[in-house]
Amino acid sequence: MKFERNEKWWLNKARQEGDSFVGAGLLARDPMPAAEAAAPAEDLRLAFGRFVRLMRRERGLSVEKLAERAALDLNELVSIEEDLDFRPEPRTVYQLANTFDVPQQRLMQLAGLSVSRDAGFSQEAVRFAARSESTQKLSREEKAALDAFLTVLSKGESKDKR
Amino acid sequence: MTADVSTIFLLDVARGRGIEAELRDAVEEAQLVDWQTQWQPALMSVLQELARRGVPIANWPQSWHWNWREKTAQVKGLLAYRGFSVVCAGLTQGLMSINLNKLARIPAQRGKPLVYVDYLEVAPWNRADLGQAVRYRGVGTALLVAAAVLSRDEGFHGRIGLHSLPQADDFYRDRCGMTDLGPDADYQTLRYFEMTPDQVTVFLEGESGHEV
Repeated sequence: MKFERNEKWWLNKARQEGDSFVGAGLLARDPMPAAEAAAPAEDLRLAFGRFVRLMRRERGLSVEKLAERAALDLNELVSIEEDLDFRPEPRTVYQLANTFDVPQQRLMQLAGLSVSRDAGFSQEAVRFAARSESTQKLSREEKAALDAFLTVLSKGESKDKR
Repeated sequence: MTADVSTIFLLDVARGRGIEAELRDAVEEAQLVDWQTQWQPALMSVLQELARRGVPIANWPQSWHWNWREKTAQVKGLLAYRGFSVVCAGLTQGLMSINLNKLARIPAQRGKPLVYVDYLEVAPWNRADLGQAVRYRGVGTALLVAAAVLSRDEGFHGRIGLHSLPQADDFYRDRCGMTDLGPDADYQTLRYFEMTPDQVTVFLEGESGHEV
C-alpha cells in the first residue's frame, strides 16, 4: 500500500486530531476492569509466586538456599515460582511466612489456601503481580512494588483480625 | 515478507513542527517488543502516579489494562493478522489490526465488504487522556487513513468500520465524520462507527488537497 501526501496535509490532519483520544476494539480495552471483579485464584497464585521470587531475590538467595533456610523441598519451591497451577502445602506457606516475616494468614490467602473477605487485598495482589515482571535483577520498580505490597500484607492482617 | 513503508508526518508537540515518520503495513516483532518494553512501563508509571495521588480507580483511564498476561498474549497474536504500525524516532507510536471479512451495517451500504478495525491503540506518551504532555499528534489519524486507503485498494471503496472506545466517540463522529450506529450489545456496548465512500473522500482529501 502506498499513500502519499505532503507534510502540510499530514500536519493539518494532526492538528484536527488535537488532543483527542483515538482507540478502537475490545483488545484496546480491558473487558473487565479488575477494580470491579474479584481476582481469580490463578491471578493470586501468580502474585504469590512473584512475591516469593522477589522476596528471595531481595535477600540475595538462590532457590536452593531459600529451600534450605525455610526447610522446604526444592522442587516445591521451584513450582511455586514457576507453575501457576501448583497449589502449595499449608506447611510450606507457613514456613515461607516465617522466613520472610510476613503474616501467615495473608500469605495463605495469597497462595489460594484460604479466602480473604477483603476485596481490596486481591486487587492489590493483582496490581503487585502486574508490576513485578521477572527479570534478572530486582529493578527499582520491582523494589517499590515489593515494598508497597509488604505494607498491604501487614495492614491486611490487622483488618482480618477485626 | 517485507513491510511496505510510506513516509508520513506527525506533529511534534514540544517543538511545534512536523516530524517524519513511517506508516508500515505490518506489525512486526520490533513493534511488539516496543509494546512490551516501552508502552507497558509508560502505562505503569501512570498507574503509580494515579495511586500516589489517591485518584479513585473509577476515575482512571478507561482503557487501563490490568490483565497484562492476557493482554500480552492477545497483542502478540497480532502477528497473525494484517496490521499497520506507525514508527517515529525509532519507536512504535501506534498499532492497528484489521479484518477484511466483515460487512457494512449502515443501511445504504448494508452487506457490502469493508475494512474493519479490530484494534487501534496509540502509545501512552501520545495520549492526552493520561494527563501528561502529548509527544506526537496525528498517530491515530494516520492509522485510520491507512485503513481507508487499504479499503480503496481492496475494492471496498474506502468503507471502514470499528467499535470505538468510549472516550474516542467524539473523535470518530466529529473529527472524522463517521456515522455513529450506536452501542453494540455484542461488543460490551462499545459504539459502532462506519465511514461510507463519500465520507472517506472527504476524510482523505481534506482541506489542503494532495500531492503525489
